[in-house]
Amino acid sequence: MADQSIAGPVKAMGASEGDRSGRARAVILLLCLSLAIAVLLSLTSGASDASAVNVIRDWLFGTVPGDAALSARDSLIVYEIRLPRVILGMLVGAALAVCGAVMQGLFRNPLADPGLIGVSAGSSLGAVAVIVLGGTVLAPATALLGTLALPFAAFFGGLATTLVLYEVATRRGQTSVATMLLAGIALAALAMALTGILIFMADDRQLRDLTFWSLGSLGGATWAKIASVGPIIILALAAMPFLARGLNALALGEATAGHLGIPVQRLKYTAIIGVSAAVGASVAVSGGIGFVGIVVPHLLRLLIGPDNRYLLPASALLGASLLLLADAVARTIVAPAELPIGIVTAVAGAPLFLWILLRKRGVIDL
Amino acid sequence: MIEARDVSVAIGKKRIVADVDFEVRPGEISAIVGPNGSGKTTFLKAMSGDLAHTGRIVINDRELSTMKPVEAATVRAVLPQATTLSFPFTVREIVRLGLVGGLAGMLPGENERLPERALARVDLEGFSGRFYQELSGGEQQRVQLARVLCQVWAPVLDGRPRYLFLDEPVSSLDIKHQLIIMNIARDFARRGGGVVAILHDLNLTAMYADRIFVMHRGRLAATGSPREVLSDELIERVFDCRLKVGVLPASDMPFVLPQSSVS
Repeated sequence: MADQSIAGPVKAMGASEGDRSGRARAVILLLCLSLAIAVLLSLTSGASDASAVNVIRDWLFGTVPGDAALSARDSLIVYEIRLPRVILGMLVGAALAVCGAVMQGLFRNPLADPGLIGVSAGSSLGAVAVIVLGGTVLAPATALLGTLALPFAAFFGGLATTLVLYEVATRRGQTSVATMLLAGIALAALAMALTGILIFMADDRQLRDLTFWSLGSLGGATWAKIASVGPIIILALAAMPFLARGLNALALGEATAGHLGIPVQRLKYTAIIGVSAAVGASVAVSGGIGFVGIVVPHLLRLLIGPDNRYLLPASALLGASLLLLADAVARTIVAPAELPIGIVTAVAGAPLFLWILLRKRGVIDL
Repeated sequence: MIEARDVSVAIGKKRIVADVDFEVRPGEISAIVGPNGSGKTTFLKAMSGDLAHTGRIVINDRELSTMKPVEAATVRAVLPQATTLSFPFTVREIVRLGLVGGLAGMLPGENERLPERALARVDLEGFSGRFYQELSGGEQQRVQLARVLCQVWAPVLDGRPRYLFLDEPVSSLDIKHQLIIMNIARDFARRGGGVVAILHDLNLTAMYADRIFVMHRGRLAATGSPREVLSDELIERVFDCRLKVGVLPASDMPFVLPQSSVS
């Protein structure tokens, strides 16, 4: 019944046994460091030989006389191509990982993940609707929202899916995993079918847009894109730490969380809206990037335990680092061409996910 | 005190609880007994604010329906029948969740030590670092009780009594721990708090309860002290089986002896 890795008693780092907060803080500190390294790595690597080191030195200390090597080209590549890409990667990685952790807390289930249960598919539907119908049926909306139309549509697609899913899968405060996964499959299939109809209706130019978008890539990162989705993701992520205590209590069930003084309804709807917004915004800019939301929180739970006060910030940091790493792999492994990052995360994440399933067999009751 | 008047609960179209009057006084243990499906847990859920009900439930002069979750959490803690977890929390982390509302009634510095003290009270000293999912059912039940005790550690807060709602607190425990838990409940009451406990063991009920509420098919069949309520006739009718009620000569305490054949 028991998980292999959790067999022995927890050796505490602090004063009291069973208190893992000291360890969690240490891990978070290490993750900050690893993110910094991932950022430097991403800025300095790429198809072009532009030296980010020079650019950063220049930025820190001013131009060194005689350092003519620092060309305008280097500066352009770092500031206009790599830096936006790194920032977008961090935002998306953090959003996906944190949303995974929050959904798992909300559904009281370590297998819940926006990609797995149809939320991302719902977001995609919204995004595709804007790409295809933006010039016709949805013209007023795109005219009104401009570049925000895509993330907004993705948000509402994700929100609708999550709400339906929650209503279907939850009975008297208990979420049935089987129902959740099956309902997720059904909703994803429905969203994909509708997406298919839209793609069928699309013209050639739209098809090109769709293909590039749906492969899942950080390649199109620009400052304009960051300006449109960055605030949404940052706002949603900033709200999540306030849910941590409530999500911890929710682990004991909805009724008990309420008895402990948690306003459960408000918690649930804040979480659902936050997740839909962050996933929607991520999907809108980078397409479907899978498995970050399930693998990152799981690895961290093994390290620091399931306390969301530490799990959420740690997930943000590890998610951001891992996505930068995956993007570095995507950019360099077939250079000068580029692999869609969704392929990289799936190749690395899917086997990990299967491993999680194997270890949980018998612990999780489907 | 807690006063419930004419409380009815319907789930769907079915009335599970009908016109129940109930009270818990500070300093007392009020026990709810009755056969399976008689509406005990449903009634307790209504009192905990989990289920919509008709009638009035008033806790310390405040109507329950007007209380925010955090206000209700300040005056009462609820022990459910069983709690399963899907994440690997340690025992200490679970017990500490009792403090999530932050109103144990302790000085700020003492909160950190509370989980250990609560665990010691339920005879789980040294279990802090163990994983909840690995414990036996009885141990898990005691961990949950420790969490509940953390929530209302001081039975009286700012001069107002607080309450423990216990749904079958001893159902999965051995006899020693049944007594330990019931003594904790009695101690909580002695120090000015109030206790509601759903119990199945009529002898334990006779031993510890100050007031017994017998539920039968969603209604109150009888109310009173153990001596008033526990009679052959009533218990046989409500529980639909043959038993003998006697009285221990030394303590004047009733006891119930089941007879082997079902009536």
